[in-house]
Amino acid sequence: MKKLAGAIICLVALSAVVLDAQRGRGAAPVSGPPKAAAPIDLAGNWVSVVSEDWLQRMLMPPRGDYAGVPLTLEGRRVANLWEPANASADGCKAYGAPAVMRIPGRLKISWENDTTLKIETDAGTQTRLLHFDASAGSASKPAVAERSWQGYSQAEWEQLIQRGGQGGGLVPPAPRAGAALKVVTTKLRAGYLRKNGVPYSEDAVLTEYFDRLSEDGTEWLLVETIVSDPKYLTQDFITSTHFRREPDASKWMPSACETARGKK
Amino acid sequence: MRHSLRALGSVVLLTTLAVARSASAQIDLSGEWGTTFFEDILHRGATLVPGDNTGVPLSEAGWRKAESWDEAVVGTHERQCIPHPVQYAVRGPGNIRMVKVVDEPTGRLIGYSLQGSYVGHFRTIWLDGRPHPSDLAPHSYTGFSTGEWVHNTLVVKTTHMKMGYLDRNGMPSSELGTMTEHFIRHGDHLTVVTFIHDPVFLSEPFVRSTDFVLNSAGNAGAWGSCGPDQIVDELVDRPAGYVPHHLPGTVDPGRETFLKTRNVPLEAAHGGSKTLLPEYIGRLRELANSPNAAPDAEGLACGGNRCVAPPRNDGSDVRVTKVQGRVYMISGAGGNIAAQVGDDGVVLVNAGTGKVTDKVLAAIRSFTDKPVRFVLDTAPDAENIGGNESIAKAGASGGRGQVAGAAVIAHESVIRALSAAKGKNLALSSVSAASWPTITFAGEIKDVQTNGEAIQMLHQPAAHSAGDSIVVFRGSDVVVTGNIVDFTRYPVIDTAQGGTFSGVLAAVNRLIDITVPHDWQEGGTMVISAQGRVGDEADLVEYRDMLTIVRDRIQDLIKKGRTLEQVQAARPTFEYDGLFGATTGPWTTAMFVEAAYRDLGRR
Repeated sequence: MKKLAGAIICLVALSAVVLDAQRGRGAAPVSGPPKAAAPIDLAGNWVSVVSEDWLQRMLMPPRGDYAGVPLTLEGRRVANLWEPANASADGCKAYGAPAVMRIPGRLKISWENDTTLKIETDAGTQTRLLHFDASAGSASKPAVAERSWQGYSQAEWEQLIQRGGQGGGLVPPAPRAGAALKVVTTKLRAGYLRKNGVPYSEDAVLTEYFDRLSEDGTEWLLVETIVSDPKYLTQDFITSTHFRREPDASKWMPSACETARGKK
Repeated sequence: MRHSLRALGSVVLLTTLAVARSASAQIDLSGEWGTTFFEDILHRGATLVPGDNTGVPLSEAGWRKAESWDEAVVGTHERQCIPHPVQYAVRGPGNIRMVKVVDEPTGRLIGYSLQGSYVGHFRTIWLDGRPHPSDLAPHSYTGFSTGEWVHNTLVVKTTHMKMGYLDRNGMPSSELGTMTEHFIRHGDHLTVVTFIHDPVFLSEPFVRSTDFVLNSAGNAGAWGSCGPDQIVDELVDRPAGYVPHHLPGTVDPGRETFLKTRNVPLEAAHGGSKTLLPEYIGRLRELANSPNAAPDAEGLACGGNRCVAPPRNDGSDVRVTKVQGRVYMISGAGGNIAAQVGDDGVVLVNAGTGKVTDKVLAAIRSFTDKPVRFVLDTAPDAENIGGNESIAKAGASGGRGQVAGAAVIAHESVIRALSAAKGKNLALSSVSAASWPTITFAGEIKDVQTNGEAIQMLHQPAAHSAGDSIVVFRGSDVVVTGNIVDFTRYPVIDTAQGGTFSGVLAAVNRLIDITVPHDWQEGGTMVISAQGRVGDEADLVEYRDMLTIVRDRIQDLIKKGRTLEQVQAARPTFEYDGLFGATTGPWTTAMFVEAAYRDLGRR
């Protein structure tokens, strides 16, 4: 009987290991405080490695360069109105949530509290707050008049549920916690998708997926960005931006996006 | 109590098995995926120009190679059907289709077939745990891919990639590179994150993330055949073996326009690791005042004098690789040995150094028990003919193998070289008389018909040496280059034995004439070179293009009156040194350049 009991203990332990493997690195069940339940660790210092759209991201693109952005006719018209001479007056328009992750820079990601993940950017000195607690979020959601560059971000750990299967239902399908963070952002101030005045409207909705990758001993953060904007975009504008982990914040170089006139 | 525990044990066991089963049932990637064309449109569309390497961590060798690239080269016959290489294909302009590959008897998912995006052949990502092929196996434009699930991501490793490009403006990707892809699905979105590692042309891994959306009404398309019915004469009035390229100091005219219209400093246009980081924006402001500042050398792999080819097959292990038809390759006994097998016996091309003949014979025994009947020598080199004596002794010749000892056949110039070496302090003088060829031919061709297959030895004058022979197995469709081609280093030009650079180049062009690829410029006639892996015509084309470009550079410097020392200092082989170069050993880059310089200076 002792042997049988031992075998049962081993099987239970194995079961836990397999579940862990399904749920991601060190995953706990997706219940309880979001910080404790985090299936992946996004906290730390990250730097964007600009190996895509280098010309538009590292240099000021010329007026009318909206190549790759699915603009409506109205969007093109507005983009063509942008004046390079007035770029310094644009303030933080290019640093709103739909664009800020694409701007070359560094991120500091940390937990503001048990239910709020904070992303700080040194480019433009922006702070994004990703709210996991829907009830608390609804209470603290800014009013419509309080639109902001970073808007209001609702976050959740993405769960991948196996549907159906398992025949007679002896064992219910195991919920599989995916190793990703999903964030939906609304209540945005109208801004720029690119520094050269390529617009998004205040009706834009931003959906993001944050994934962690490990490649040859280096840790990477991948952010898939989906911008929906019925006013200026003909279809979802999708980009994915990668960041490499840095050991510390020694290269953190905050730069303001405010203008001399204080426009923000 | 005992029954209760047993019942509990059964439940736990079932639970565990169910969970384990669900662990193996991973996210479904199959379907039609439409590419989104929002990122890198300036690199993925028609606006990409040669010289725009922005955003790519090219090494100095990388940007130099990209700078010499002339887009007219894609119009040469041998390149018109090259598909998008796997290093680029997913980033290309086409949709993709992911199709499950299922093991029929078990129903088990064993892979995904990735189709579309102007990839020539369907690419399979194997999920069944099979190993990657040996380092001596041929490379292809799709490479060899295996995948495994890491949490919610399919991580795919790809090796055996052919020389290719990172973008369609000549940014190179070498065959020494490997690739890792992370396939991540969120609902109807698929992102493929690609890391390309290349010790020659990149100074750090090149990462790109490409987005797709599920498009059930879509069609990946863009496949079929590309072969003789698509290849046309695009470049007329050009000599055979013409390779379009830009000499150092001359650039594609489109680059200057690009630099001006986009306000890109030359340094940034070269790419490189440092240009990818946010702090480089400060450097860009500095460069705004001196846009043509000379770029800093960058690249751990191919900077300065460290740019040498890595060791590949150190000869410590005798190995057998099946090539195709009746032909095998035996490596590790000096130079590569080819073996043709059939009821009549074994025909060897070359015999190795003779130091490990026992292992060579054991290798032959691993695929046949027939005796060696013929040894065909391709050149008077100790590494090829040193094993003649011992291997011939173990064989048998004659019409039915009734004569003891295998026959050794070579061009008569091999005998002349061996005779001339007698008593001199040359490597060849160490070859015993018993290893000398027993049959020679003086003409251009020696025919051998064995094992139901026509074999031809084609004499190639003044190439690696005066006595080179190319061996063609016409039925098996395999060509043995001898020492004319060495996929692991620059060709050895034995000037003491009548070898010339020009003769090597002529011989490689002849080899390209002999070889015939399948569709999409790969496979077909297979090639066994002096050392290294099995190749095909596309590999010969890369080798020929390298030789032609180096020739043109050295000729240009000679015309300008440069001395040998000045030519060496100009490093006309720079971007190829990571593939073929050496600073030490019996055949260095400097020796190769000198041999080329002296030969071309006479012409």
